[in-house]
Amino acid sequence: MPPPDDAPPPSANPSTEATALLALASRAPKLELSTLDLCFLATLYLRAQSSGHAAFSEEQLFELFEQAAQIVERDPSSVRKRATHAIARLRAQRLLSRVDGAGLLRAGEYALSRLGASIVGFFLEEEVLTTETLTLLTRTLESSLRDVLLKARDARDAAALDQAVVGQLKVTVHELMSGIERRQRGLDLQQEQFQKEISALLSADWFGAVDSCQALLESTASTLRDLNHVLLSESHRLQALLEDLQELALTAGATAAEEAIRRAADQIDRIAAWSSGRQKSWSDYYQYVHRFLRDVVRLDPSRALTARLRDQLSGKSGKRFTLAVASTPAPLLLREVAHGPERPPVKRPRAERDTPPDEQAVADPFAVLEDSVRAKLDAGAVSLREVTAQVTQELPEDERFRAAGRVAQVVAKLARTRSERERPWLAVDEAFAIEEWSLPERDGVVAASKRGTKVGGG
Amino acid sequence: MSSQSQSFEDLAQVVEHELFPDVDLALRRGRHIDREDAAWYGFLTDAQAELERFYRRYGAELVQRTDGFFFLLPSGDKLGRRHLSPSEMLVGQGLTLLYLEPATVEQGGVTSREALLSQLSASMGTEQLMLAFNAKKKRLDERLAQEMVRARVSEAIRRLAGLGFVELLPEDRLRLRASLMRFAEPVRGSGAELEALNRLVASGEVVLTSDDDELEDDDAELSESDSHRKAPSSPPPAWNEGAEWGASFDPAPSVADDDEAPT
Repeated sequence: MPPPDDAPPPSANPSTEATALLALASRAPKLELSTLDLCFLATLYLRAQSSGHAAFSEEQLFELFEQAAQIVERDPSSVRKRATHAIARLRAQRLLSRVDGAGLLRAGEYALSRLGASIVGFFLEEEVLTTETLTLLTRTLESSLRDVLLKARDARDAAALDQAVVGQLKVTVHELMSGIERRQRGLDLQQEQFQKEISALLSADWFGAVDSCQALLESTASTLRDLNHVLLSESHRLQALLEDLQELALTAGATAAEEAIRRAADQIDRIAAWSSGRQKSWSDYYQYVHRFLRDVVRLDPSRALTARLRDQLSGKSGKRFTLAVASTPAPLLLREVAHGPERPPVKRPRAERDTPPDEQAVADPFAVLEDSVRAKLDAGAVSLREVTAQVTQELPEDERFRAAGRVAQVVAKLARTRSERERPWLAVDEAFAIEEWSLPERDGVVAASKRGTKVGGG
Repeated sequence: MSSQSQSFEDLAQVVEHELFPDVDLALRRGRHIDREDAAWYGFLTDAQAELERFYRRYGAELVQRTDGFFFLLPSGDKLGRRHLSPSEMLVGQGLTLLYLEPATVEQGGVTSREALLSQLSASMGTEQLMLAFNAKKKRLDERLAQEMVRARVSEAIRRLAGLGFVELLPEDRLRLRASLMRFAEPVRGSGAELEALNRLVASGEVVLTSDDDELEDDDAELSESDSHRKAPSSPPPAWNEGAEWGASFDPAPSVADDDEAPT
């Protein structure tokens, strides 16, 4: 089904839709109508059409409500009270509006609002697309488009072209196309009704309904065929006119006109697609029903087959049977032999996984240090600071501080040391300082005195 | 693919047609081909005479019904055949009843699983329906039994769809096809029902079943159905140790040949 007439184009911004919905929701609109309310509105609508007066006095409203209530409910009790409530309800829902503007001064005059008239129109008007209405509408549409095209050709700039095209396309052309679409929906409803009618006819009078069913099928099929034919030829002409307009709009750079023309072209496409779609689906349905009438209804005029089959299914009569069907299994399709990668066979390793540990000589770091200190002393170092500086100089920076203590221990062991009463702290390098000991010159091996060493980090 | 009528002069032309492999395989697997399968149906109609001769050599008959469908009916032992299980038969008959209903005409032959279950329930009665699909269960929990009925009906529909009796549509809807009229065949016609049934039994289209068969479980139904596939009656050629290449494929000498042997 085509979208509603006022529906935005598919490219519409979703945020705009959301805004419109929010605005609508904030007003909290709702409609609540009983059958009597609808019939009352319909009475007003029909009376307005027949009398030519759109407005009704309060007294007339009560009178017409009473008529509607008599027809619909056949209940004359408390009509006046119910009419008062109904009128108030319809006014609150903006289906009926006061048109005299006199307020409380005097009894007012009322008329159906646009909403009320549309609702009644939907239920009452049978606007169905026929070949005549379609031809008339498409011819009018074509004439309007030709008019727009002439005006567009006279336009001197983009603004003038927009003015010539947009308004007329929006009002005249869209109104006409909406008219076609509205009638399409009417025809859809009519087809649905036909399908129901065919089913009802068959249910009511199985074999006797064959001719009526065929007549219904033929009439709809012929209508659809004619409509499709008209639409195919007319839509081609309309699209050609729109293409000419589009070319003018493109050349002039009139974007608003371009957009309006594109929407109109989409609408015509939609109408043509509807027509061919309905033609196909009705054609399928037409064939199906024809086959059903020929193969089922005509061959079983008394519907005895259904009755016997039902008895068979319920086990009331007949012997149990089963159908035989061919059943050849699907052929076996052998797969191609796939050569995978060659993998070595799994076997236990012969060699021992655990190897025995090797003995390796380990250098004693303390002995190395002691040798180094001894060498420095032998070389004639005269102070602990000198020995420490020389020995730790070869070591990494982060090990020097720890090694300084051990140097002092070895020096004390290997040499005699001496210190002042006030032992000065001297820096060995930038990182730390030590308490100084002096070492007397030695002749060979020097006896060492056991002294403690104090080392301070810098 | 052309939908225009085509005439075939000989079988070779039929076999060479692009549709032949698919149609042949479908027929051998029990598929019923109707007007909805427009291209296949057109091909079968055009090549009917040639294909009838072709399948006769396999001991099978290519059957065409006036309702507008074809199917293959193996009567010999060269092509496999099976019989529909009891649940397939019940569901098939229920679908046929729906096919004959004016209400289905309104929808253009489309119905739903719910409508089928309602039809079965209305025709058989709820209790009998649950018993039919829960044959071996002595004590029935109603909820479980209903679930079982729905599951078995769905399974039967799936199998019937494979045979071309229905077409599965989205949202659990089903398009009923003309081939469903096979289920109504034994009760069709103005003559006595038994007469029609006997004729169908004689042609091999239908097999009579006893009430005991109805009590078979669905699992058993499947295995039973498979067992209906007839094994080739002629034994395979005897092994000859390869002494004479090809000798094992030669036809065995008949009794008549022996009789006619010179004495």
